[in-house]
Amino acid sequence: MKKLLEITLGILTAIGGFVDIGDLVANAETGARFRMSLAWVVVVGVIGIVLYAEMAGRIATISKRPVFDVIRERLGPRLGLVNLVASFFINFLTVTAEIAGVALVLELASNVNYLLWIPLVALMVWMVIWRVRFSAMEKIYGFLGLALAVAVVAVWKSGQTHALLVQATHLHPPATESWPRYFYFAIALLGAAMTPYEVFFFSSGAVEEGWTPSDLMVNRMNVYIGFPLGGILSLAIMGGAAWLLAPRGISVDHLSQVALPVSHVLGKIGLVVFLFGMFMAIFGAALETALSAGYAVGQYFGWQWGKFVRPVEASRFHLVVLLTIILAAALALTTVDPIKVTEYSIVLAAAALPLTYFPILVVANDPDYMGDKTNSKFSNALAFIYLLLLIAVSVATIPLMIVTKAGA
Amino acid sequence: MGEPLVNETGGRIIDAGTHLLDRQISDKDGELVGKVDDLELTFPEGGAPGASPPFVSAILAGPGALGPRLGGGVGRVVSGTHAILHPSTRPGPARIAFGVVTKVAANVELAVSRDELDVVRVENWVREHIISKIPGAQHAPQ
Repeated sequence: MKKLLEITLGILTAIGGFVDIGDLVANAETGARFRMSLAWVVVVGVIGIVLYAEMAGRIATISKRPVFDVIRERLGPRLGLVNLVASFFINFLTVTAEIAGVALVLELASNVNYLLWIPLVALMVWMVIWRVRFSAMEKIYGFLGLALAVAVVAVWKSGQTHALLVQATHLHPPATESWPRYFYFAIALLGAAMTPYEVFFFSSGAVEEGWTPSDLMVNRMNVYIGFPLGGILSLAIMGGAAWLLAPRGISVDHLSQVALPVSHVLGKIGLVVFLFGMFMAIFGAALETALSAGYAVGQYFGWQWGKFVRPVEASRFHLVVLLTIILAAALALTTVDPIKVTEYSIVLAAAALPLTYFPILVVANDPDYMGDKTNSKFSNALAFIYLLLLIAVSVATIPLMIVTKAGA
Repeated sequence: MGEPLVNETGGRIIDAGTHLLDRQISDKDGELVGKVDDLELTFPEGGAPGASPPFVSAILAGPGALGPRLGGGVGRVVSGTHAILHPSTRPGPARIAFGVVTKVAANVELAVSRDELDVVRVENWVREHIISKIPGAQHAPQ
């Protein structure tokens, strides 16, 4: 029974982490512009995050080392610092996007401008991190975020499932879009699916919860069930946009358009459930990203980090989390377009993926850390192919960003 | 540090470059202290340099040790921050005598509490002046 409950850690990372503001925006936007022709990227992204999150969780369980600890030790202080600065910056954009995203959901529900909600959202995020127990935190937002499954119901009830699956076999951009834009959005989808904070949070969570080698099975269950679940939700959101928004030429530049397919099929009640699910999933992701800022800095410098000690015992960690939330809220309050911040955060996250994933792959193969729990030949072969893919993505991102004017 | 330095702890031979440097330090209660940012080497007394190999006499931790290891402009910023935050005018890096090391495993474990160490000065300052002032800072671990 206890083991069953622990699987919720994976479900949280799947719903609040896999489906966050980045996935909602990227999938809806892609569906509206490219129909289902980029659905395959979600599948590629899910397999990638399953592969690397399993490794990160296994490393954290066996060697008691969360990801940034490993990065510092394997890459050394200099390259580790470059990695920290890049990861922290991208994560900071993600925190900003999540906080603004929660505020946008509240705007949709209340008709009160999102800017007025931002200070309140930031305060709520900080208070939950400050006061709510780690295990309670992950269970609450994990389960309630599952309300997003209403998007799957909407696609199924629309009767378009078959047509969408057929669309998904067309692996080329529609006539209205160019190949560079097609690949730029492929990168955005990959970045949304494989965002580095997911592995920072997941591996630090394993240490927070004190996993032991007997929990390895839990780790695998979390990853193998949780992430594909997130992938199905992502595809449902893409599908809804592909059948409702794309034929009508509606583009996604506000969160309200993400919710259109659900409200179209299921009416007001469906919309309320979807907004609730978005709120919980994005709020959960705001918690995870804000914590990840503290995890990354604390683990690089060796400070006491985490919610498994009293806040006064991890002062610098809590200070970093607090400052990150304040500065992210401040950036969101400048009226910078939250959807644009989201887009940049996921695309840059994709470009930075090798920085996180390469050290994980190296350590997962080191018997010094892992004993007899090193990677199997199969997962190594797959992980190596992914690493090559991620390096290619990393090289292509900035040129594609320039050529396509950031997908415009 | 081209030649790997060898030190005997409990009969096990460890490589300072891969098993010590950049490793997490924890105190006697398992609380995290810092990283092994650098190592202090000492030549045995009386022996002329080069006659007998140096030994690791202390772990150097915190920005005062990390700065020089980073080098360049960034290193100077880190060292400079250390100098500004430290009460002494020309502070050296925080030092942890190697004698208090009990185990070199996943963490480098110490026989003392972190509160006795200079390396947590900034942590203590942040605790005293910021975090402990927020209501709920003392509440139980979660």
